[in-house]
Amino acid sequence: MKIVKINEDNCIYCHLCEVACVVEHSQSKDIIKAFKREEKPTARCGVEFNYPLSLSVMCRHCDDAPCMEACQNGAMHRDDRGYVVVNEDKCVGCWMCVMACPYGVIKRDTRRDVWGLSTKCDSCPDRDVPACVEACPNNALMFEEI
Amino acid sequence: MKWMKNLKTYTPPAFTVIRDDYRCIRCKACVEQCSFDATFYDEEENRVWNWDANCVSCNRCAAICPTEAITIEKRDYSYRRNYSWESHIDSLKKRAIFGGTPVVSMGNDKPYKIYWDHILLNASQVTNPSIDPLREPMELKTFLGKKPHNIEIGDDALKTILSPQLEIDIPIMFAAMSYGALSYNVVEALGRAAREMGTFYNSGEGGLNKDHYKFKGNIIVQVASGRFGVHKPYLDVGSAIEIKIGQGAKPGIGGHLPGEKVTETISETRMMPQGSDAISPAPHHDVYSIEDLRQLIYALKEATEYTKPVIVKIAAVHNVAAIASGVARAGADILCIDGFKGGTGASPQVIRDNVGLPIEFALAVVDERLRNEGIRQDVSIVASGGIRNSMDAVKAIALGADAVYIGTAALLAIGCTMCQQCHTGKCAWGITTQDPHLSKRVNPDIASERLINLLKVWALEIKETMGAMGINSIESLRGNRLNLRGIDLTDREMEILGILPAGE
Amino acid sequence: MKIVIIGNSVAGINAVEAVREKDKISEIKVISDEQTRAYSHPLLPNFVVGDVSRAEERFYYRERNFYEKHNVKTLLGRRAVKIFPKNKYVELDNEEKVDYDKLLIACGGKPFVPSMKGVELNGVHTLTNIKAADKLKADLPNIEHCVVVGGGLIGSKIAEKLAKKGVKVTLVELMRRVLFPVLDDAGADYVHKELKNLGVKLVLEDSVVELKGDKRVKEVVLSSGKTIKANSVIVAVGVRPNLDFVADSDIEVNKGIIVNDYMQTNIDTIFAAGDVVEAYDIVISQKRPIPILPLAARQGRVAGLNIIDSNVKYKGGFPTNSITIGNISFISMGIVDSDEFEVLKIKKDGEYRKFLIHDDKLIGAILVGNIEKAGMFNWMIQNRFDVSWIKDTFLNSDFGWKYFNKAFRVLRLDRKIK
Ligand SMILES: Cc1cc2nc3c(=O)[nH]c(=O)nc-3n(C[C@H](O)[C@H](O)[C@H](O)COP(=O)(O)OP(=O)(O)OC[C@H]3O[C@@H](n4cnc5c(N)ncnc54)[C@H](O)[C@@H]3O)c2cc1C
Ligand code: SF4
Ligand code: SF4
Ligand code: SF4
Ligand code: SF4
Repeated sequence: MKIVKINEDNCIYCHLCEVACVVEHSQSKDIIKAFKREEKPTARCGVEFNYPLSLSVMCRHCDDAPCMEACQNGAMHRDDRGYVVVNEDKCVGCWMCVMACPYGVIKRDTRRDVWGLSTKCDSCPDRDVPACVEACPNNALMFEEI
Repeated sequence: MKWMKNLKTYTPPAFTVIRDDYRCIRCKACVEQCSFDATFYDEEENRVWNWDANCVSCNRCAAICPTEAITIEKRDYSYRRNYSWESHIDSLKKRAIFGGTPVVSMGNDKPYKIYWDHILLNASQVTNPSIDPLREPMELKTFLGKKPHNIEIGDDALKTILSPQLEIDIPIMFAAMSYGALSYNVVEALGRAAREMGTFYNSGEGGLNKDHYKFKGNIIVQVASGRFGVHKPYLDVGSAIEIKIGQGAKPGIGGHLPGEKVTETISETRMMPQGSDAISPAPHHDVYSIEDLRQLIYALKEATEYTKPVIVKIAAVHNVAAIASGVARAGADILCIDGFKGGTGASPQVIRDNVGLPIEFALAVVDERLRNEGIRQDVSIVASGGIRNSMDAVKAIALGADAVYIGTAALLAIGCTMCQQCHTGKCAWGITTQDPHLSKRVNPDIASERLINLLKVWALEIKETMGAMGINSIESLRGNRLNLRGIDLTDREMEILGILPAGE
Repeated sequence: MKIVIIGNSVAGINAVEAVREKDKISEIKVISDEQTRAYSHPLLPNFVVGDVSRAEERFYYRERNFYEKHNVKTLLGRRAVKIFPKNKYVELDNEEKVDYDKLLIACGGKPFVPSMKGVELNGVHTLTNIKAADKLKADLPNIEHCVVVGGGLIGSKIAEKLAKKGVKVTLVELMRRVLFPVLDDAGADYVHKELKNLGVKLVLEDSVVELKGDKRVKEVVLSSGKTIKANSVIVAVGVRPNLDFVADSDIEVNKGIIVNDYMQTNIDTIFAAGDVVEAYDIVISQKRPIPILPLAARQGRVAGLNIIDSNVKYKGGFPTNSITIGNISFISMGIVDSDEFEVLKIKKDGEYRKFLIHDDKLIGAILVGNIEKAGMFNWMIQNRFDVSWIKDTFLNSDFGWKYFNKAFRVLRLDRKIK
């Protein structure tokens, strides 16, 4: 299975992976509308910086995914492609997956009324190559077989 | 606002950064990418803005902006029009305000005549038909080094002992740019591209990082007046050794790598203390005559057991022909002439912009002189300094060069936008910097691929034009001035270039 | 092979999934005394107040066609009453005998109800399964003032939910703070404030001794002698392993069913997993019941794999809890309150972080407010990671991968170290 491979030596801390992720997971998939007209979704990848290091980290799509194990109602599940994804209609925002994820890559989206929503990399189901990988100007992210 | 303008140090900004606020999504990519402190994000105002005075127009922000919100404009002079003064007003003021002479980088940017653009190439028609490079073999390979005046053939083999040669698959090499001026990743990319394309890159005067010894077979090592990082293994790893006497961008001036760029690895490579300025003196303190040069050449040959050609690199200056003759007689195998448009990592502006000769003239007169003296075959000639495209290379070879070096062109391929800030060590494109955060901006995988692409395309273009001229080997193009014609040139200029006017 | 699973919840379901990963043929029977398909226990407080209902998929642990898809026969609404290990069958409450080759006991926990007078009165509830939740939900319109006994996870959550609904709530907790084993004083302080903001009245260091009333509870008497007028009581002082029907079998039990590293009981063919067992706690290095969902899932999975002889070990676990009260989220894990160990903590703008370290190993953590990277600490505890060189960065709000050494980070992110 391919996942996004992180080559930290090439990361230039431009955040474009996050921008692309937001656009990909927006309603309009239009960069300006996503940021200006919509309530913008949370980026699934997160760029960290500690001079001179920077790197973008997102779900590693574990084999024995602790987040799935911890999920209280199966919202966190493995899809047909083999990627670990959140079923938004089921997620109740109990943050048990956040507590379990050994890579610390699940973010909390608290825009919904009753339920919070766990937000994580879904390996862009609508694309051949994930948006962050395509957007990264320096090949710091590559979509590769693990 | 972080900055406030102060009349005491004010000169008008050269550029204005214009940001289309509708398009700007506040991603702040531009803020992070600007290494010159010219772009800011104001949290409270939720706005990205610029301090134009700091903008060097490196265009990094405009290139990275995902919504193309940024345009950088050259500010027009708002001073009253004055043909003779206007470009001097601010440069004079800067000297007056800061009390120092400006240091600049990249090549001479003054509007001197570019002779390449006044030389036209020939093509075959009917007689001596043109050649299709896609169908017929076309040879770009050449050998650099001293050639014998005549050869003796024994019973079954060549009897004459040949001097060591540099074999190159295309007549283009990467010019000396030191590790120190360039970032590690750029050197890595140059090395990989040279290896892939069967040519050489030149270490420059800063020694060689131990990681790059792996490029043995594609490296020319340089020995300059500072002798940084020169030792036996260094000489051994080079396929040729280049003695740097002068550089086109700053003839008569030594080298200067500011202390900020002398990081731990640089200091290790150069064998000098970290953080101190790396100064190469103007002359080699052991070379004050052709005889001294001969001693140095032979010392290096001796040290490497006469297995490698020695190159002597000189700047194109007014009596370049006589100097070249001396260099040839001193025993150099290859002569490199660097024209006044050549690049630099740091040079005083006055020198860069006012000293030296165009490479076109230097090349023509040196080739002519060496032929007249009957010693042209004793040295190969490499032309450098302002080779911008494949046709410049073709014209240089037709004027008498064996090969060319490219420096600036290679950096452009990697991303350089010629903002001329190399000396600051803050190159926003990660090329001429030692800041580990900035130098990551060059990914050697991408950069080497681009260099390889560039050389491949140039090679193809050279083959096309050679084919058009009915020539199928680069060796037959060398010194073939009959294929050149001058246009918009004076008779005297054409006489020096040794070419006929267009139409004749 | 005939596989029988008692318990249709987290442990049982994960066991089914593990078996079916490799074995599509064996017969699997799941027995449960509940009629519903597997649902989410932690959602019961939400269920009670109507955030979620039986009609919503969100309420269930797995999708409707789970049993069909995994080729599982269900015996729902049937209670197992006795196990006959020698003859390898389970007897149900209707006297039906169910044969097995391998048995998994995943019958979970049951609420602990302390002895107090009047527990049998109307209006007294527990909240550990859907039956209890239904009863409480039906009673909701009658409830004016509710006393919640026990400030654990369930108690605090239902107190919060009821208060938000406008019910008058008093929470009685024996210890000096709510969520006693889960948080320390500073952490619990946040919970106290949130609960008070919602109008919950807190009575700490006190307990309920008697419930008074005729048919329905009217008044609650505390050990301090104080009384509270209330027409409803929810007892939530914890769960105990549900050992009722294993008590007189040959299966070894202590506080819970004793299992080895393969989730196997003293009888080869019988496995146990989930809230009903006592398994190894790697932080305190001894076996004990830890009734939390992630461990029930993992143990169920390990049991399932071993039922089909995959020889997979349970590496041990430790308590981890995530709870949101009001607007603040809390995550805690391992040992969280002790003076015996090295303690790092910091309290700043809307955030509290605390770490306990022993022998250069992280053994516990509390994160309040900023919980995003919690799982990284979970990993460090689970893997007994040497934190001596990185612990200084734990208190930084932006803790993350950037603080690890490069070689380790690259190997981990490339999934070369699990
Ligand atoms: C209200 C509530 C909130 C919770 N919140 C959290 C939380 O936030 N985080 C967390 O980690 N954990 C939480 N838990 C605990 C978590 O739900 C349990 O750890 C988990 O459900 C245990 O799963 P299990 O499969 O071991 O047992 P259970 O879920 O208890 O399931 C046991 C099953 O066995 C059946 N059964 C029992 N006895 C018999 C019998 N004799 N015959 C047939 N069937 C039988 C039961 O009906 C049930 O279906 C909560 C629990 C409750 C009740
Ligand atoms: S979210 Fe975390 S635990 Fe879940 S699959 Fe991704 S990396 Fe693994
Ligand atoms: S897009 Fe690429 S280079 Fe930019 S921050 Fe993301 S990973 Fe780094
Ligand atoms: S990069 Fe473009 S969109 Fe992003 S902050 Fe700068 S101007 Fe705005
Ligand atoms: S190398 Fe960098 S600093 Fe130098 S001119 Fe090019 S872009 Fe500017």
